[in-house]
Amino acid sequence: MSEPLKVVNHSVPRVDGPAKVTGRARFTVDLSVPGMAHGVAVRSDHAHARIVAIDAEEAQEMPGVLAVVTAASAAPIDVRFGHVARDHPALADGRVLYLGEPVALVVAQTRRQAFKAARAVRVSYEALPAVMDAQEALASDAPLLHPDRVAPLGDAGLDAGADSLSGNLCAESAVGWGDVDGAMAEAALVLEDEFRYPMLYGYAMEPYNAIASFEEGSLVVHSTAQHPYMVRDDLARMFDLPLARVRVIVPYVGGGYGTKSYTKVEPLAALGAWVTGVPVRVALNVEEAMLTTRSDGVLVRMRSAFAADGRVLARDVEVVMDSGAYTDNSPVVCAKLANRCFGPYRLDAVRVRVRSVFTNTVPASSLRGFGAPQGAFAGELQMDEAADRLGLDPVQLRLRSLARPGEEILPGKRGIDADLPQDLEMLAASLGWGEAPQRGRGIGFGITASDAGAHPTSVAMVRLHADGSASAAVGATELGQGSRTVLAQIVAEFLGLPFDRVAIVASDTGATPYERTTGASRTTALVGRSLQDACEDARRRARQMAAELAAVDASAVADVPGGVTVDGEPWDFARVIKGWFGAGGEIVGLGEVRRAGEFQAMPPFWEVGCSGVVLDVDEETGIVALRQLTTVGDVGIAINPALVHGQDLGAATMGLGAALSEGLVYEGEALSNPNVVDYRVPRTTDVPERIELLLAERRDGIGPFGAKGSGEGAGNPIGSAVAAAVARAVGVFPRELPLTPERVWRLVNEAASRAAR
Amino acid sequence: MSTETSTTITTRINGREQSLRVDNADLLLDVLRDMGLRGAKASCEMEVCGACTVQLDGLPVSACTTLAVELDGRSVETIEHLDAGGEMHPVQEAFLRHSALQCGFCTPGMVMSVKALLEVDPDPSREDVVHWLEGSICRCTGYATIIDAALDAAEAMRGV
Amino acid sequence: MIGSDFVLHRPDALEDAVRLRAELGEDAVLYAGGTELLLVLKLGVIDVEHLIDLKRCGLGGIERTADAVRIGSTTTHREIERDPVVAAHVPALSALARNVANVRVRSAGTLGGNLAFAEPHADPPALLAALDARVELAGPAGRRSLTIEEFLLDAFETALEPDEIMTAVTIPLAEDGVRATYRKIAILERPTVGVAVAGRLEGGRFAAAPAVVVGAVDERPIRVEAGMLAGASPDDEDAVAALAAAARDAVDPVDDLSGSADYKRHLTEVLTRRTVRELARSEGAA
Repeated sequence: MSEPLKVVNHSVPRVDGPAKVTGRARFTVDLSVPGMAHGVAVRSDHAHARIVAIDAEEAQEMPGVLAVVTAASAAPIDVRFGHVARDHPALADGRVLYLGEPVALVVAQTRRQAFKAARAVRVSYEALPAVMDAQEALASDAPLLHPDRVAPLGDAGLDAGADSLSGNLCAESAVGWGDVDGAMAEAALVLEDEFRYPMLYGYAMEPYNAIASFEEGSLVVHSTAQHPYMVRDDLARMFDLPLARVRVIVPYVGGGYGTKSYTKVEPLAALGAWVTGVPVRVALNVEEAMLTTRSDGVLVRMRSAFAADGRVLARDVEVVMDSGAYTDNSPVVCAKLANRCFGPYRLDAVRVRVRSVFTNTVPASSLRGFGAPQGAFAGELQMDEAADRLGLDPVQLRLRSLARPGEEILPGKRGIDADLPQDLEMLAASLGWGEAPQRGRGIGFGITASDAGAHPTSVAMVRLHADGSASAAVGATELGQGSRTVLAQIVAEFLGLPFDRVAIVASDTGATPYERTTGASRTTALVGRSLQDACEDARRRARQMAAELAAVDASAVADVPGGVTVDGEPWDFARVIKGWFGAGGEIVGLGEVRRAGEFQAMPPFWEVGCSGVVLDVDEETGIVALRQLTTVGDVGIAINPALVHGQDLGAATMGLGAALSEGLVYEGEALSNPNVVDYRVPRTTDVPERIELLLAERRDGIGPFGAKGSGEGAGNPIGSAVAAAVARAVGVFPRELPLTPERVWRLVNEAASRAAR
Repeated sequence: MSTETSTTITTRINGREQSLRVDNADLLLDVLRDMGLRGAKASCEMEVCGACTVQLDGLPVSACTTLAVELDGRSVETIEHLDAGGEMHPVQEAFLRHSALQCGFCTPGMVMSVKALLEVDPDPSREDVVHWLEGSICRCTGYATIIDAALDAAEAMRGV
Repeated sequence: MIGSDFVLHRPDALEDAVRLRAELGEDAVLYAGGTELLLVLKLGVIDVEHLIDLKRCGLGGIERTADAVRIGSTTTHREIERDPVVAAHVPALSALARNVANVRVRSAGTLGGNLAFAEPHADPPALLAALDARVELAGPAGRRSLTIEEFLLDAFETALEPDEIMTAVTIPLAEDGVRATYRKIAILERPTVGVAVAGRLEGGRFAAAPAVVVGAVDERPIRVEAGMLAGASPDDEDAVAALAAAARDAVDPVDDLSGSADYKRHLTEVLTRRTVRELARSEGAA
């Protein structure tokens, strides 16, 4: 491909911009289907209970009510779904395992009718002892949430964790090599501490919603799913339908961040449609959404051994994840957390054991970072603490141990495809590291590398139309990250077409080819490559067609932007198509990425997180003011720099939320803050005074033009960076997030009392 | 004394006079969305996120926590009105220039909120913009591009 | 979504509103901005059969009377924020109104509604109490007025009788040289603690003990005895520290999502100290 790049590596305006600023963009919640009824869930008010009876008599008689669906009334449908293990009932079946779990679905003609009738459903429970804490759940006498364990489905792309799981263990992952105990014995410094990272709520502003209908023997679902193909698989299993007869369509998604990964309310809507025979919409409000999915809170026990010169020699990590009531995606998060807690360093020895544990709380699933923020909070903070104890510079200390380009962070996996030392130096310079800080001010930073990309399965299609314009069909969803824009740019570049002559059709399992998932920061690199493959296929066909039409040898035909040349004479794609078909027609190119060849090594690419902050602490109140935020986007190449900056700032801001104010709080059996008033996400007043979003484009990735991925990395080191900055400002290292003003104030007090001794 | 639980109102919606009958318990957001004006969105439903922001007699309000009957004798403007003349509003153009959106769910509310600000204060400081938008949540962007877009739109509208 | 239907009464005179209130009794709830009431209705915490809308009863408007600034009870926070009479005579209230909740709540929410709902985590009560404001009430038996502290009895509980309607809040015009200021700290959405200080400085010293009221952190606003500041300068660290300690000891916060009782007591102390110091730099109440 000839340089300079005409479309790629330019901040072209995003294709969905005009629709979104004019309010015309359609999200699932904006859609209506003729004859659509509305389903509202009745939810459990116990964390662990046997359902004694569901009395829907009064509700059923209320105006407009079409049905009250329960697990029992949906028989013979088995209402469970789950992509790792099929253990999650869409409607509780005999037992409830968390407060807020759907027990019945009231379907009525209007939403208000369903809402009112839902309040009239009476459920009686026999309360069972609830286990609200992961440590308690691990005790041998703890109540068992899943006495009849469901066998994993065995999807090769999903890590189901250890084979023998007992008690309330949802999943277990272990990573290890070398002689950890030996390294600890010989180290100049061993740090050992416990770190706590909170449960979080992603708060995508569009709550989960779906419309389902059975049409002509097929199940058609519109939903907010990030992974329509995964949802399709769950629904096909549930309703015993062939994949060809389940269609999941996803329009614009009002925020994903991993919170909309995998199946959520689609089964509820589908069950409503199945029982009533009419299309049914289920649209949750934010409180219900908070009772649907959260992220894992974790306890990390970390021991790290350091040499006198600051090299980190070995790490011994034990993590307990509070994963809530059902398996969901926790085994995968568990496996990733195991890989992401010890940092991108040359370690002689590692021993990691991560356990994901069932508790009677909202089920945990994916969230941006996927184990990296939790792991890095401990791992990076201990690097800072080691520097402090050894009297070394924390940048230099890290540089001593950071993996160099091509080196393995995980034995047997793809070598690191990034220059971490350079990234860290860029970051430190931007933060003004090394200059004398003023009183109450602290600088903190961290660096992470995540085995990103999930499983490399992607199929894509490119269509060259009779007028030479092109459309690409992909299963990737548009969550706001800019997938439609970036993918259109890639197609435009490979085909040599103006950007406005390329359209993207996306995320409809009935019309677009298979895409494994949209998450794990994978779309640019992996869907980009399958599109590249599809463009090459389309071009190959165009060359063959032209050669045949011109009756020349294949070697006489060459690719040029927008078409081919035949013995040097330009034929645009339109001319090739017209010549080939006579009337109408199009050229279709198919492409794929699969786990073979250059995609055999895992991960497909590493996603770097390299971020830092400068902050001031008001020691009297503990209130933190952010003076600067810097991120380094080591993305290989920014297909669209403005969109990468958007992802980096967005991810870092979410990281700041977890670092300073976010955290789900359970009080007894219930969440005490299941709303956006009591769960505080960042506001305009939290924006750092100065923001620097840097890019490192070394073309070192597997994606088109050397691209890697973006979207999660910038947030991963923020928790530890903020904690380290606070430590430097007040003199005590934190051990727990969020660093609310009160927590910071207590650290200040602790520093004062230590100084007094 | 009335026993009616619904009310006939006359109002001006996006410049057009209308008469309609609403249930007293209907919320403005639901009535607008039911009539096809789906730009305003339901999110927090507790007045803290701004996704449902519309202008009622020019004032930004949370349509999710406003009774539809409040339209009576008043005018409401929604996002759909801004480019009704065929051209985008300077605030919309500024949002596009600055890439001040990602998923777009907060965007109609954000744009209406910025528009409402610039109609009462054509030359706000950065602090004024931050203060005005403190009650508008965006979970995607980190806000910086939105604040820049607001200040840029102000300049454009002042003809600077 | 509001699950229950209700009748909406929109009287266009105060007497009609009073009459309706008396007739409907407990079946009716007063309604103006709805910024608190509608949230409660949406949550299904209460169902109401009748709403009495006060916005057409002539209860709006701000005027300066002979000896007070009179703010109609259905005046919105935004109107207060932008009103020239308030700016001229009670600028601390303009500043406070500017920071109530968010701009959309300020556009619709009323001062009367704020006081009548009596949510403890509110801004106006502390400053209004420090300024010796009164709430005017009208009922079938006639009119009466109460101080803020007489009106706000407890969290979500006021002295408003079931047949009364709040008509206005009056703030006595301050003597020359009286300054007032209000500051708050909000850990979550609502204020965690707010401190109002009002007093007259002569030659850089408090002519008499200033009014000091702590709001938001307790069930109701708490007035703190500030005699130690009479004759003292706002820069007198010992006197101010003594006041701040008294404020800390005067409030009885509870543990909640915003923080522990200990922390809130500490914030009360810090904020009191800072607010007094700021008074010297403020523009004044009058």
